[in-house]
Amino acid sequence: MVQPSRRSRTLRRVHRRTPGSRTVLHFKKRKPAKAICSQCGKVLAGVPRERPYKMQRLPKTKKRPERPYGGRLCSACARRAIIASARKAQKTE
Amino acid sequence: MMEVGRLCTKTAGRDAGKKCVIVEVLDEKFVMIDGETRRRKCNVKHLEPSTETIKLGKGASHQDVVKEFKKLGIEISETKPRQAKPKQRRTRSADRKKMALKEPKKEKAAPKKEQTPKAEKKETKLEKTLKEE
Repeated sequence: MVQPSRRSRTLRRVHRRTPGSRTVLHFKKRKPAKAICSQCGKVLAGVPRERPYKMQRLPKTKKRPERPYGGRLCSACARRAIIASARKAQKTE
Repeated sequence: MMEVGRLCTKTAGRDAGKKCVIVEVLDEKFVMIDGETRRRKCNVKHLEPSTETIKLGKGASHQDVVKEFKKLGIEISETKPRQAKPKQRRTRSADRKKMALKEPKKEKAAPKKEQTPKAEKKETKLEKTLKEE
């Protein structure tokens, strides 16, 4: 039997192939939720879904799209926001 | 609306939110832009035109655009692609020992102490004022 603490499904199970071609079961912590657009709730593209220790290892450019509101808003919402701000700036001039 | 000299804001891609100007109209869909963005072909759908225009000659270069933007109060920072540094080869410790055996260490000559004439003492402010008085 597995360890009693590992019987719960808190940890996710990962099958790993060892160098001796044996498959073993690893218990890993679950990944955080997918990043979503703060305006429309769409799942964001280009934002990796990893635990913090892995996110820390990634370069900044691999964590979110390189545009204003990247990693916060989806591309459609960001475009709308940028157009709105451009038109607003125009009105104030 | 989309003619040469029209100021626009780019709304898509990594240059989104940056100001640019139309340099050339390629066809009804695409234009050539330059400015805060990179000089590149761009879909008209990805541009938000403004009411402002700039006077630009035909085939305006990047330098011309930079000049015109400066008049508007927009500084364009030039970004050159970084040049890769030549990689230094790592030597293994075993190799280093071999090298050391081949080349006997040069004995370091003790650095001579040169006597430099002491700088004349500068008058302090207090002394100056005392003299003047």
